[in-house]
Formats: sequence, structure tokens, C-alpha cells
Amino acid sequence: MEQQESGTSRRAFLERLGAVGGTAMVMAAMDAWHVPTASAATAPPALTGAGKGKTIVILGAGHAGQVAAFELNKLGYRCIVLEARGFAGGRVQTARRGFTATELGGETQRCDFDPGEYLNIGPWRIPFHHRSTLHYTKQFGVPLETMVNDNDAAWMQHNDGSGALKGKRVRQYEVKTDLRGRVNELIAKAATSGQLDQQVRAEDRELFLDYLASSGRLKKDLAYRGSDLRGYVKPPGAGDQPGTIDDPYGLSDLLQSHLWRDFQVGEYTHPLTMFQPVGGMDQIAKAFEKRNAPMLRFNCEVQQIRQTDKAVTVNYVDTKTGKTASVTGDFCLCTIPLSVLRSIDTPFSDDFRAAMDDATYVPVGKIGLQMKRRFWEEDDGIYGGHVKLDHPAIRQISLPSNNFQGQKGTLLGAYLLFDGATEVSAMSLKERIDYALAAGEAVFPGSYRANFERGFSWFWHLAKYNLGGWANWTAEARKDSYPKLLNADGRIYLAGEHLSYLGGWQAGAIESAWQQIEKIHQRAQQA
Amino acid sequence: MKVAVTLFALLVAAPCAAQDVAAGEVLYKQKCAACHQPTGKGVKGAFPALAGDALVLGDPALLSRMLLVGKGGMPTFKRLMTDQQIADVLSFVRSSFGNSAAPVLPDVVAAMRATLPASGGPTGPLGN
Repeated sequence: MEQQESGTSRRAFLERLGAVGGTAMVMAAMDAWHVPTASAATAPPALTGAGKGKTIVILGAGHAGQVAAFELNKLGYRCIVLEARGFAGGRVQTARRGFTATELGGETQRCDFDPGEYLNIGPWRIPFHHRSTLHYTKQFGVPLETMVNDNDAAWMQHNDGSGALKGKRVRQYEVKTDLRGRVNELIAKAATSGQLDQQVRAEDRELFLDYLASSGRLKKDLAYRGSDLRGYVKPPGAGDQPGTIDDPYGLSDLLQSHLWRDFQVGEYTHPLTMFQPVGGMDQIAKAFEKRNAPMLRFNCEVQQIRQTDKAVTVNYVDTKTGKTASVTGDFCLCTIPLSVLRSIDTPFSDDFRAAMDDATYVPVGKIGLQMKRRFWEEDDGIYGGHVKLDHPAIRQISLPSNNFQGQKGTLLGAYLLFDGATEVSAMSLKERIDYALAAGEAVFPGSYRANFERGFSWFWHLAKYNLGGWANWTAEARKDSYPKLLNADGRIYLAGEHLSYLGGWQAGAIESAWQQIEKIHQRAQQA
Repeated sequence: MKVAVTLFALLVAAPCAAQDVAAGEVLYKQKCAACHQPTGKGVKGAFPALAGDALVLGDPALLSRMLLVGKGGMPTFKRLMTDQQIADVLSFVRSSFGNSAAPVLPDVVAAMRATLPASGGPTGPLGN
């Protein structure tokens, strides 16, 4: 079946990345192979001139739409933002007590977490290099806290391998340290027995061995016999307690366990330290909403878009009253996901429409579990980060980076993608929670189910105004279709994460908006 | 005509594994039912009904293409399902919800897959 890839190892690598770090990580890795990765723009375009009383109709009050309104308004444009939902943010939403949502074909969920508990059901972490996102959090004074994106103390457990570590719950620092030590020992011994003389210059050899010995904690004879980096079976303490280090795991057991698969993590794309807004990711959306309020029209579902060579008219229905209305502007910036836009009555050319159809959207969802006691902290000393497991769909359980040492906590019990997401989203709400609890109980036996209080699950492919988590561009579509959508069709411009190489990230939506408003402004200035 | 098609299908299917409608039903629940619903009736305005749908009942090659490539909210299953699995699930869909069309052969899926560009993009199976 998988005959096509130039390298199956690359595909396997991507699969594993996806399993470990989510699709965003896969996409980041893809970008590393094809194009520059990460956030390219650090500030909005420096635009001069004035909006001259021109009207811009913006469709969607997610980050792309809100950024455009915020920046264009400063230039004097009249901006009208039509938002189908009753609130701004697009996919940037946080489920907390009282939050109500209904999936297509599903029952209405009302989040009943305790006050202070929440789940970011959309984006949940901000890498330090997403300077566009951080530009607005700083400007708006949205308080950030550290999001612990990796934690060596977190458990890992794999049943898919064999050997002594199969099914054994181990700390990530044990596995990392032993793997490095075992591998460095082999390389160092090869180097001292002349086997690497072709590859390592004589004058480099000593430094090479120094590096291997220090990073692998090798002894003088270049053997690895364990290290304090892998933790203690008896920790050091006061008086006569020097601490006891356990024997390291054997290389064969480490390899056969498959645990090493979880360590192919990019340190730049998904850095150890990230940020999250205090109180939930929707704080960013709310900060925009507060400033853009006069421009925002909620519950306005776009029905039809029409354009002439002078203007764009958008017909919409007010979902509260059922009444239809229309707005006309000089230009339109449409941030509606392509999965949704393709079914709306639009005036796009056949070529443009075909390009839109070349993006497919990724099924994505999350399950949050409120626990009455932070047993991962109290019992195991794990503060944030991801527990890694080899469950068929749930590859990691992410522990909260807020309210450390508090009473309760809400963890991300499942971050599901692709067919893991389609399968679990077909379950009832209760079945979903049971599914997530079963996965967690295997790693936290006796604690996970016992401490569970309430759950909330949400799947973006079943969200009416999203129909998917984010756009998925194949290499071919990225080359042939994507560039067409960066240009206007008449007086209509598109923007959103789908028109960036930062797919699924907030930075993608923000920077896409920056790019497109510059084009609109330049054209408006010429008119 | 239909009998002839079915016979032909069985003959062609014989050398490779025959499509397994029961397996297809399980796959349907896992990959399709969340959107197209357990009833196959879909959700109006978002997910097309599979019952009586022209694409579902039409050319098996074009139908296979939809699963392999996707479109809009319909994800690509190119990396997530084998030819056999796609044949199974499509054969289930074509014989359920009141539908009555010939099964889809794995060879048809394989042939369609072979026409697609080598790189399918950054998707990958996460279920194993």
C-alpha cells in the first residue's frame, strides 16, 4: 500500500511524529523538508496611507478576521466582520463551566467543570518563535504562563514491543539517559578500535571521545554503567543517604521496547517550553473582541457572496431571527475554512474553486478530564508535560500547566487526529470518556478512573462552521493550487491558517491576515 | 446486467482477497459513521447522504478516488487504509442503507491509487 514515498523511513518517521506530537508536528517536519519553517513575520505590515472611507467586509471572527479588522480599522477603513457563531475566536475556544456546544449529528454538551477548570479545545500552546501570536499577547497584555511541553519525569509505557521493558511504566529520563549511554558506548568503542578512523579525523578524535563520554556519562573505560541522570531508586538525602542508582536497561531491551520511538521530537518546532494564556487560549480571542467590538456582527451566517468590478456584496442570515440581510464593501476578506466555503454560493472562477477543493481537512478532537486530585503531581511528581503511551489512538496524555499543586486539575486525556478522531467521534459522549479513561487507567492504575469527575469532548470535523481541524495540503496541491488562493478572485481575498505554512497554528492565521491586508491596502490605495 | 456485473466482480476478485462486507461494516463505524452517520443519511449541508448517492452508486474507480484523495471536509484516507480496507468499506456502503450496487474490488482501488501522485502529503496513520 505504501509504495509511493521516496523513502518509507520518512513516512514512518512522520507517522511516529504524528503519533507523538500530533499532526502539527508532522506538518512542521514536512515544512522543514520543503520550505522554511516557523513564523516568518514578527509584526504587522507597516502600512501608510489611509482607508479613505472604504469598506472591507470580513467574513469570520477567528484570529485571521480579527487581526484584519484590528489593523485595517487603524488605517481608517470601515470594517464589518460577519461571524456565524455568537462569539469571536473561530477555533480558538476554551471549554469551561457553562460552555455549550453541539456537534453536527450530536447531542448538546454543557461543560460542567468546576470554576477555574478548563480545556483548550482548539489551539493550546504557543512556541516561543511564533512571534506574530506573541506580538498581540504582549500588545494586549494577555497574561501568559509557561506551558510545559515536555517533561522527562513523565511516564512512558509501550506494549507494542517485546523484551524486559514491554508494558513496563518507566520515566522518560531513564530511557533517554540509558539510550544515550548505551549508544555512545558503542560509538566510543568503535572509535578507539580504529573503526571510525575514516570518518573522524585524528585531531578530532579526542574531542569526539570527550563528547561521547560526557554526554553519555561513560566511565574511564568508555563503558556505560548508569548515571544519576536516569534517576535514583533510592534518592539522595540528608545524613548518610548518598542515593542509589539502579542498573541501566540493556540496549536490546531498550530497542525492543519501541520506547525510543517517542523521542524523535523536534526541539525547535515543538520546543520544551511553550506558552499558554492564563485562564485559557480564548483570552486572546477575547482581547481582540474587546477592541473590535463595534465592527463585529454575530450570528450572521453567510449565504451568498456576489461581486462586480466595483464591489462585493455578502448576503447572510441572522440565525437568531432568521432574517436575511446583506452588506456591501469595496473588498472582502474571507477567512471561512475552505471545507465550509466550498459549499457556500460564491462567485469564484472555476479555477479558483478547483484550487479550494484541493485542500482536505484533518479530523481532530480532544477529550478533557477533570480529576478531583492531582495524583500525577502528588503521587508521581510529574508537573505538566506529556505521558507517552502506545494506545491505538491515544498516544499521549497531557498534564495541565496551570494551577500546580492545586486541588483539582483538568488533563488532556486524548488529542485525536485522523482515523483516531473519526473513530472516537462516532462514539456517544459517555463512550468517548470511557475510552479515554481506559487508556489512562493503564498508566495510572488505581488513580485515573478513581479521581475522574467530569469530561468534555469536542471534534472539529463535526463543528458546523469548521468541518475539520485545519487544511491538509499535499505536496502537489501546495505547489499547484495553494498559490492560486493567495491571489484575489476579483475583489475577494482569502486568509486563514489554510493559507500559511503554519497550518493549524494561530500564527498561521495571523500572518496570513497580515499578508492579505497588505495586498488589499495597496490595491485600495491605487484605486 | 447486475448479475453479470456481480459475476464478473467475483471472477476478477478471485485471485486476490475478496471484499469482506462484514469487515467493511466495522470500518464504516470507525472511519465514516461520525460524519455520514450510522444511518448513512449524513447531515444536511455538511456531510452528504450515502443512501442513494450518485457517486456512491456510480463508477467504483471514482468512488475509490474520493476516499483516497478526499475533498474539503472529507479527509484523505490514502495513508490510513489499504486497498482491501477501502474495497471492504465501499462494498459495505454500496450494499447498505437501501443501496444495491456491485461490490468494489481491491484491484480497482489499487489501480486508482497508482494514478495518484507519489506524495500524498503529510498525513499518516496514527492508529497503530
